[in-house]
Amino acid sequence: MIPAVPPPPDPPAAVSEAPERSAATEREVRVAAALTDAEVRIDTGFSGASMIIYGAVFNPTDAPADVVVVVRGPDQPVRLIRKQRVLGVWLNSRPVLFEGAPGFYMTASTRPLSDVADFGSLRRLGVGVDHLQIDAPAEARSVTRYGVRDVVISRLGEDYLDWRRAVIRLKQTANLYSSDDDGVTFVDRGLFRAELELPTTAPTGRYHAEVWVFQEGEPVGVSNLTLRVEKVGFERAIYDFAHQRPWLYGILCVMLASATGLGASRVFKRR
Amino acid sequence: MDIYLPIAEVSVNAPLLILLGAAVGFISGLFGIGGGFLMAPVLVFMGIPPTVAVASQASHVVASSTSGVVSYGAQKAVDYKMGGVMAIGGVAGAFVGVEIFRYLRLLGQADLVVAVAYLLLLGTIGALMLNESLGQIIRRRQGLPNPPRTQRRPMWLYGLPWRMRFPRSGLYISAIPPLGLGVCVGILSAIMGVGGGFILVPAMLYVLRMKASVVVGTSLLQIIITTGVTTVLQAGRNQTVDIVLSTLLLVGGVIGAQYGAKLSGRFRAEELRAVLGLLVLLVGIQMGLELFVRPDEMFQLAPGVDQPEPIAEVAVPDDEDVR
Repeated sequence: MIPAVPPPPDPPAAVSEAPERSAATEREVRVAAALTDAEVRIDTGFSGASMIIYGAVFNPTDAPADVVVVVRGPDQPVRLIRKQRVLGVWLNSRPVLFEGAPGFYMTASTRPLSDVADFGSLRRLGVGVDHLQIDAPAEARSVTRYGVRDVVISRLGEDYLDWRRAVIRLKQTANLYSSDDDGVTFVDRGLFRAELELPTTAPTGRYHAEVWVFQEGEPVGVSNLTLRVEKVGFERAIYDFAHQRPWLYGILCVMLASATGLGASRVFKRR
Repeated sequence: MDIYLPIAEVSVNAPLLILLGAAVGFISGLFGIGGGFLMAPVLVFMGIPPTVAVASQASHVVASSTSGVVSYGAQKAVDYKMGGVMAIGGVAGAFVGVEIFRYLRLLGQADLVVAVAYLLLLGTIGALMLNESLGQIIRRRQGLPNPPRTQRRPMWLYGLPWRMRFPRSGLYISAIPPLGLGVCVGILSAIMGVGGGFILVPAMLYVLRMKASVVVGTSLLQIIITTGVTTVLQAGRNQTVDIVLSTLLLVGGVIGAQYGAKLSGRFRAEELRAVLGLLVLLVGIQMGLELFVRPDEMFQLAPGVDQPEPIAEVAVPDDEDVR
């Protein structure tokens, strides 16, 4: 009898390309990373997802390396209003549209981001919630100031930063933005892991994960991964029906409702 | 037992939703109101987007009202002719209300209008109902007879053309006042996201002076038709109707509505009106407080450009994080 051969373990769902090996790269810091799941399937029992980003840093140099994991969901424009007090009554301001805000954003790092790299590098790479390129283009206009042409100013004026911070704060309250200063842990020499928690409100679509390696404040390596979040099965069927044949869907909803009402009164009448 | 809602895109506790549906259905059957003004704030508090909450609860209103109409119909307490005339006005009003609401949302002032509408309408109607019914209860306790009705039906009800007979309501009046009442309720219900029963019932009692026994059943009939049309509109134009959410709500709702309708026969009409008046007054005040209390969070999310537009959105003081 042939002994049962255990099935080979599933290959990692998403793996970045293996770093090239050549004489030139022998002294360079390299990083390889993978996700435990490359696809999050939203079904009826979906109550958020948690997965692990793991990988290895090859560091032939003496300087210590920092790992920063950035996960970014699809962009979702944000419309914001501000409460204003007029004659003792709280009213809404005009809504302001912010673009470039991802629907989900997470960073995890070995140390606080401000220790890992300086302001300029983080801003250039767009790493960290404070460095997201969230902007209100409809509010901006070009003017000539002090003889300088095409100076971009915002109609929001000096409050602009308050508005921008509010976008991030509201997203953080909804658990859609997070930053964990010690979310990346080294389990062994060169082997790291970070946890990714998706709340149920996380948007569907394609997510991008970047794993950066910083050395002495400079980015020295990156590994890119993608992740798909999508509805499946029953959830998918309902969602597609509601969006592709909205009128039929609405009529069915009303018919279902009145049939339930009628059915219930029949059942109760018999008793 | 948590369940993920496909349109609302959040996960909620299913038994809790069924219980909520049952509680609101009970109140709906008891007082002859849609109950939307009670349910939407609770749904929003549970984390469901206001746009989806308002649109999905409409079909719960349809179900519990259907159930209620069947019960009242068996007791010969529905004036189908009057209900039909008012519903024609209601459907027309709903279309107008939807457009008004879209415009208000463009200005970013929908919240404000909703809060003011709640405060003024619910506050006034609640206070009037409470005052009138408490007066009756006190006089009965003291053994005094009701004061004779000095107020006759306003003469203009008779002066208008298109007179119709409404035998069940004991009326022979022009069709224009019920039609106009339907239009007003349709507009308000689209703006405030409610069925409008709390406006209809007092208006039918005090303006049209219908027979009190048919008022509740007839208002439920009008509510079914108006909210049915609203649901189709919401689904067709905005895709904000979540069938899973509304099914959970209406399962509890139909059962609650049956018990409510049965129980309503055991109470005196003025006692029911006193309780309903108090309820309406409290919700009105609670909604209106948002205008005067300093918000914890000065910035709030307005429904986005890519997100579907709601027909109505209910203002709740402590829902900053879910908006």
